[in-house]
Amino acid sequence: MSRILIVDDSRTSRKILRSILEDAGHDVVGEAMDGQDGVNKYKEMRPDLVTLDITMPVMDGLEALKCIREVNAEAKVIMVTAAGQQNKMIDAIKLGASEFVTKPFEPDEIVKMVNKLANN
Amino acid sequence: MINQLFGNYLVKTGALSRDQLERAFETQKKVRVKLGLIAVTEKLMTLEQSEEVNKLQAVMDKRFGDIAIEKGYLTDDQVGRLLGLQGNQYLTFAQAVTDNGFMTLKEFENAFSDYQKALAFTLTDMESLKSGDSDRIVPLFLPNDVDELQKEHVLIAVRTLLRLIDSDAYIGRASWVSSIPAKGVAFQCLAGEKNQDTKVALGLIGEEDGLLRVAGTFAKEEFEKVDLDSLDAVAEFINCINGMFATKVSSKVFLDMLPPIYREENVTVSGGRMLKLPIFVDGNELQLLSTYDGMINI
Repeated sequence: MSRILIVDDSRTSRKILRSILEDAGHDVVGEAMDGQDGVNKYKEMRPDLVTLDITMPVMDGLEALKCIREVNAEAKVIMVTAAGQQNKMIDAIKLGASEFVTKPFEPDEIVKMVNKLANN
Repeated sequence: MINQLFGNYLVKTGALSRDQLERAFETQKKVRVKLGLIAVTEKLMTLEQSEEVNKLQAVMDKRFGDIAIEKGYLTDDQVGRLLGLQGNQYLTFAQAVTDNGFMTLKEFENAFSDYQKALAFTLTDMESLKSGDSDRIVPLFLPNDVDELQKEHVLIAVRTLLRLIDSDAYIGRASWVSSIPAKGVAFQCLAGEKNQDTKVALGLIGEEDGLLRVAGTFAKEEFEKVDLDSLDAVAEFINCINGMFATKVSSKVFLDMLPPIYREENVTVSGGRMLKLPIFVDGNELQLLSTYDGMINI
């Protein structure tokens, strides 16, 4: 079981992700609605893993990823985005993202990815 | 989609009652179209020839296609093609309406000709309609001066709505508007990363029950009213459509997806030259709003 922080400006996405992760036995320790909120909650909660939406107001996912990696260079971060954002995915890889998922969510894919990262 | 489009036309013209249409839709789900009906609607056999083969079938242990070939009415290849059409939505609807005795095949076909005239469609357009293929049907309802990229965007939107929200949804004739009032809106703009000239946007407004159906089905959640929570779900649905669109056009242009925007209050939605496509979900009218070379604003 991993302690997971969900960072996404969409309530719908947060709810769907939470449901998938909790059904798979993981503990969602917090939710954040934008990148800045996500960085603050990461510092406060120190989760095992973060799911981080790329397109968000205030601070986007790439900027938040940079900040989180500054706090913890080993942070495990799964980037979340709609399809069609390959350039941003490449940027996220350069910044140290662990994995990617695209919306709409495929529960099996997400659970496999989280379990794999949890076991590493 | 053709069953919904033509079915509603039949109700509007009084050829069917609303109740008969609903019963025809129910029957349609169970129908396997008879080869004779397909042959007649495809104009490969006359109604008389089809009835003759039907009568022969009653006394011969042979399939319709085999008898039609023996009689020289159809070729092997034609029978093969007709068999491939048995799941076609137009034909299953025709069979459901005639099996229920609501209309004869002749009346059905005449009404379809009237429908063609009412829409000012060509025979080729009607073939596209009968194909049941949304990618062929949707362009018929768009203005002629829609850009190819915008057409692709709208096609992906309708295809995704049919796939994820309501397979029985259907569309109306699209038009250009510069602004439109709405109670509740969700939209998302996309902009070229380096070349800010490329700007497109997609939005959804419309009747409360229609928006709630989109939100509820997409988020797998019951929503009671159009509020920020349900509109967030609609916005996420639009976000998925836009993601597919951005992927599709990525070889031509990179589109940066901006955060979706949604408002629950009364707003005026404007977008310069905005394409408005009516989409009926559970009979509730929604308006798909699409811009090309411009953003949507509120």
